[in-house]
Amino acid sequence: MDSALPATDTSPGRFRVLVADDEDDIRDLVCLAVRKAGCDVVRSVADGSQALVAAATDLPDLAVLDVSMPGATGLEVCTALREDPATAGIRILLLSAGAWPDEVARGLSAGADAYLAKPFTIAGLVHQVRSLTAGVPA
Amino acid sequence: MTLAVLDRPAAAPLGPAAPAPWWSDVRGALACTVVLAATAGVLGTGRVPVVDPLLAGAGLAIAVAATVGVWATRRSRPGVRSMAVPVAHLLAVALLHAGTASPTVLLLLLGPLWLLASHPTRAGVPVAVGGTALVLLVPDLVGTASGATHPLPGALLLGPLAVAVGSIAVNESGRRLRAQEHLIARLQREQDVLLEQVRSRADELDTASRILAARAQTMTSVIDAVTQQSIIGTDRDGTIRVWNPGAERMLGLPRLDVVRKRSILDFHEPEELAAAAESTGSPSPLEALVHAARTDGSDVRDWTYVAADGSHRTVSVAITPRSDDRGAHAGWNFVGTDMTETRATERMKDQFVSLISHELRTPLSSILGYLELVMDDEEQPLTDDQRRYLSTVERNAHRLLRLVGDLLFTAQVESGRFTLQPADVDLAAVVRAAEETARVAAATAGVDLVLDVPADGLVVSGDAVRLGQACDNLVSNAVKFTPRDGQVRLSLRRSWQTADGEVVADERPGAVPVALLSVADTGMGIPTGEQGQLFTRFFRSSTARRNAVPGVGLGLTITKAITTAHGGTLDLVSVEGQGTTFTMTLPLDPAA
Repeated sequence: MDSALPATDTSPGRFRVLVADDEDDIRDLVCLAVRKAGCDVVRSVADGSQALVAAATDLPDLAVLDVSMPGATGLEVCTALREDPATAGIRILLLSAGAWPDEVARGLSAGADAYLAKPFTIAGLVHQVRSLTAGVPA
Repeated sequence: MTLAVLDRPAAAPLGPAAPAPWWSDVRGALACTVVLAATAGVLGTGRVPVVDPLLAGAGLAIAVAATVGVWATRRSRPGVRSMAVPVAHLLAVALLHAGTASPTVLLLLLGPLWLLASHPTRAGVPVAVGGTALVLLVPDLVGTASGATHPLPGALLLGPLAVAVGSIAVNESGRRLRAQEHLIARLQREQDVLLEQVRSRADELDTASRILAARAQTMTSVIDAVTQQSIIGTDRDGTIRVWNPGAERMLGLPRLDVVRKRSILDFHEPEELAAAAESTGSPSPLEALVHAARTDGSDVRDWTYVAADGSHRTVSVAITPRSDDRGAHAGWNFVGTDMTETRATERMKDQFVSLISHELRTPLSSILGYLELVMDDEEQPLTDDQRRYLSTVERNAHRLLRLVGDLLFTAQVESGRFTLQPADVDLAAVVRAAEETARVAAATAGVDLVLDVPADGLVVSGDAVRLGQACDNLVSNAVKFTPRDGQVRLSLRRSWQTADGEVVADERPGAVPVALLSVADTGMGIPTGEQGQLFTRFFRSSTARRNAVPGVGLGLTITKAITTAHGGTLDLVSVEGQGTTFTMTLPLDPAA
């Protein structure tokens, strides 16, 4: 699938992050926060199936996924990534504007490393990205 | 001469003896009278010569007296009479024998001798023998004996001997007969008693079976009256035995087509049962269905029923084991309520709430995120005016966000999906944080905030975020409803609550420790009539509306829900025009 949002150039030695959110404004905001955290956005996509393809081809260190996306939900992407040995090692941060407290539990049981509720603060997201990439060998 | 009254057996202690026929009273007396009359007649005709009229007269007189005696005492209990009457008659015969010197009168001996021989005791036998000897000897003794009446010495010996043998034989057979009569009478009484018992048992049984039939009828009519719920009873193997009109309506089959012919499993979705069997490790689908009811005694959960037309119904089924009359496990009861529409509505509501949440929070996320970027951009600092304007935007965005959060939280509480993440929470820190949050608003409104919390803290088990939310609600309410120069006092202390709910300052037996958090204001107060509705969703007091205090009426609903979820209570005391005090009571760990 041709992504409307092409891969960004990345510098060697920096953490590579995949961003997936169907809301353009939020996606830009997340990309901004990722860069603020000192990481490279390897690709940013607008739906779940694109996220799966991008994760398999780019093999990022971290995937920041919105839960509610067309194509495949963040939870489905999360489960699929964990099932494939090639992508099982990718760190996953879920973002959601969901209404129910059990969504957090479902997200974590689907294999996510962390969960952030919308609306998030830029500072909070930067902090999460930093702590999730801290232990990843660059 | 006398066939006097035979002694009757003594009345049995077990029950009343059968009443004697009327003639038994008079038969002895009557026989005496007849014999007496015959004797008198024979003497009167002169066929028997009277040798000594004095003796014969005396004999007749005694016989008359004895006969009268028999008549007079015929209704009294037999006793001395039974011996006295024959003895008197013996005496009479002796005198008659002496007076007539005729052996003919000896025939009169038969009566008293029979009587004596048949006396219940053996005492009659020697009396009879002695009496006979006396009768035979009397003519010689008194000197009236003629040649004809002179008994031979052999006869004197043989007579009493024959009497002895005869009377012993009669006595023995009489005694034996009487013993048998006794036995028969006793058996008769026992039989009567048994018969009576059988009759009363039969009556009891009849009453019990009628009560049972009435109960069964009541149960059947109650079960038949249920048309909105299915009531299905099965054997242990799942064969249906009870099928009420509600089941007919829900599953579309009449009772006759189902009872004893179909299994409960025929009406369940097979895949759902198979999945349940797998998850519970049950060996059969029926075992999977009743697994929880068998373990816990009862079970209520949603199952999918398949009706006769193939349609699927979501049914909340209460399953309980059924016992027979001896208490042994006989099968299962399934009481089902069709929840298909309810569950569909619930799903729609959940979807709606999720949609609202997503659609409101996503734009708010953008607004707040980009605001943060602009306001925190160190390379392009804002002017003071710009910062002030953007702060207003941010404040209002947060206000919108809180409203969305409150609405969602209310929806969560309502759908039972509100969960706590319990941990040890220092309530003093929570109250201090609430004071800090409200400080700016209080200062702007000219309201004095007073804080009174224990310096060493007060730890409860609870959800820190939710408790903070509840506390913030109470404090921000108090500030909102207090006019300029008023005061809001936040206090927290450890107290004790007695079994009847009273809160006391000092420990006492039976009281449990509680944390008492109160928020008291000197505000406009809440009218007494409205205090009961205060915790209802979207309720706004008339004072709030009159004074244009902003809000939607969710804060107290949420605060109450949080308090209740923590096992606590939320109360208020309010006087219109003077102020309101909200008191939150939360249980403390007794060991803490």
